[in-house]
Amino acid sequence: MQIRVKCSCGAEKCPEWAVVELQGTVELNASFQTHLQNLQIGQLCRLSSTSQESYTFTVGYHELTGSKVTLKKPLLVLKKVKGFMDVDQNDDNNKKDDLPSSKVELDVIGIIRHKILFKTRPKALISKPQPLVKERTRAAVHTVPN
Amino acid sequence: MEKSSRIKGAESVLNLEPNSSIAIGYHGLFGSHDDTMLLEIDEKLLPDILHQRVTLRGQPDEDSVLCTRSKTYAIKFVGTSNSPLLIPPSGQFALCESSQDFDGGVHDFAPVIKVAHGNMELVEVAPKLDKLKLLLSENPYSYEDVLEMDFMEDVEKNKARLYNWDDLVERVQASDEELRSGLRALSAVEIDGFWRIVDEKYMDMILRMLLHNSVLNDWSLDALNEDDVVSVLVSDGFPDKLAYHCLHVYGSKVDGDVGRSCVWKLDERRVCVHFARQILSTEKKKMETFMAEWLQRIPGGMQASFDMLEGEVLMEKLGIETWVYAFSVSSLPLTPAERFNMLFRERSKWEWKDLQPYLRDLNVPGLSSEGLLLKYTRRAQPTSEAEPVFSSR
Repeated sequence: MQIRVKCSCGAEKCPEWAVVELQGTVELNASFQTHLQNLQIGQLCRLSSTSQESYTFTVGYHELTGSKVTLKKPLLVLKKVKGFMDVDQNDDNNKKDDLPSSKVELDVIGIIRHKILFKTRPKALISKPQPLVKERTRAAVHTVPN
Repeated sequence: MEKSSRIKGAESVLNLEPNSSIAIGYHGLFGSHDDTMLLEIDEKLLPDILHQRVTLRGQPDEDSVLCTRSKTYAIKFVGTSNSPLLIPPSGQFALCESSQDFDGGVHDFAPVIKVAHGNMELVEVAPKLDKLKLLLSENPYSYEDVLEMDFMEDVEKNKARLYNWDDLVERVQASDEELRSGLRALSAVEIDGFWRIVDEKYMDMILRMLLHNSVLNDWSLDALNEDDVVSVLVSDGFPDKLAYHCLHVYGSKVDGDVGRSCVWKLDERRVCVHFARQILSTEKKKMETFMAEWLQRIPGGMQASFDMLEGEVLMEKLGIETWVYAFSVSSLPLTPAERFNMLFRERSKWEWKDLQPYLRDLNVPGLSSEGLLLKYTRRAQPTSEAEPVFSSR
């Protein structure tokens, strides 16, 4: 079967998406797990001082420092449209539906050329010793709702 | 102090002014969005994709490949333990603009639609043309097809095993250009809309009829008039499509027209190879017997030489006698691992001059022929002057 990759946004006007990349994962307070829509994760701030584009990302009482990087190769944001069919994870469970799903297409809905990358461990903004966590290899960032 | 936030998007993050800030949070439609994925692509492929010249191809049980017009790429998923938060441009995901309140007079808010725990990458690969050969070999065009032309219901019945261009595109993981050149390499021909390879015995019949006619009509094999050839072959009972095909397979067009008809020149090597294959199609022969039969079969004016048969015929010494047998590169798989497997099953040790004709058509992106040898063979060279010998790894 054949899945066409189309670009409904039109060749040169493909909208650019942004990526804020954090090391580790964002852990949610359990009470927010079910309704995190519109919940704030943190505050992204661009510093002016240096010639480099440097940023901070403040999550609760933690601050991350990072920079804007240009991707060596762009990433396309693809969206599967119409019907249903896994394109690359053809595991065993796909074999049962023999009928080639009517017409699946992949739509290019955006392009990513830059990301704001935070690869350092978070720095505590308050001087009080953190009671709970000893940092592990993968720094976990906690969302602390205000 | 504002109490509600203004929903922004990617552009506000990317173009954030120095000394300013923006809140990052979860989109009203935040979720796993499994139908949205990231594909890393080379800048040079971008125009192909944005101009919609790209498709994914493969059956449900195959790993999908991405095809541009001329190349095929495998798709690999690469995961990350980081959390890339994806922020779409404003307006791309319809959203009710009623936003929550945030403390501290939050101003602009850029919503994250999903966390992408990885992306797909492309790796250029050779097209999967072995499957093309397999599909077309299911039902080669033969003399029976000509007879069946009068019995349409039989033809209808057989159509289940025939493939038109679209069927092949659906089934073969290759770009359009690679598929076309694969069809050419197989000497396939489109008959009544279906791509077929023609049975070798049938090709032999047409070619011998063509040569016979050229003797009768005193045609030069270097300047065959297309109209004359086709009309005579048609009157001998061959479909015109096959008459043209015969010229394509064994000849090439020459410049200079006779009137409005094209002129063809038969290719000495291709014609000679054809007869060698015919002679050796059933059994191996002693060298002298083979050479005598071969020289006798090839048309007058053509010069056969044993060099023509590299990649088609192998020699073996049995006692003091030399025997030859058919071993055609075209019968071997196109995937390197399988190709070497077949080669070493045929012979455990190969000299370079024998091996080379069986490798030169292999095309593996990112791997040179030296790389292929390093990967799949062991090279032995008893002395520095001796010819290297290749064996299985």
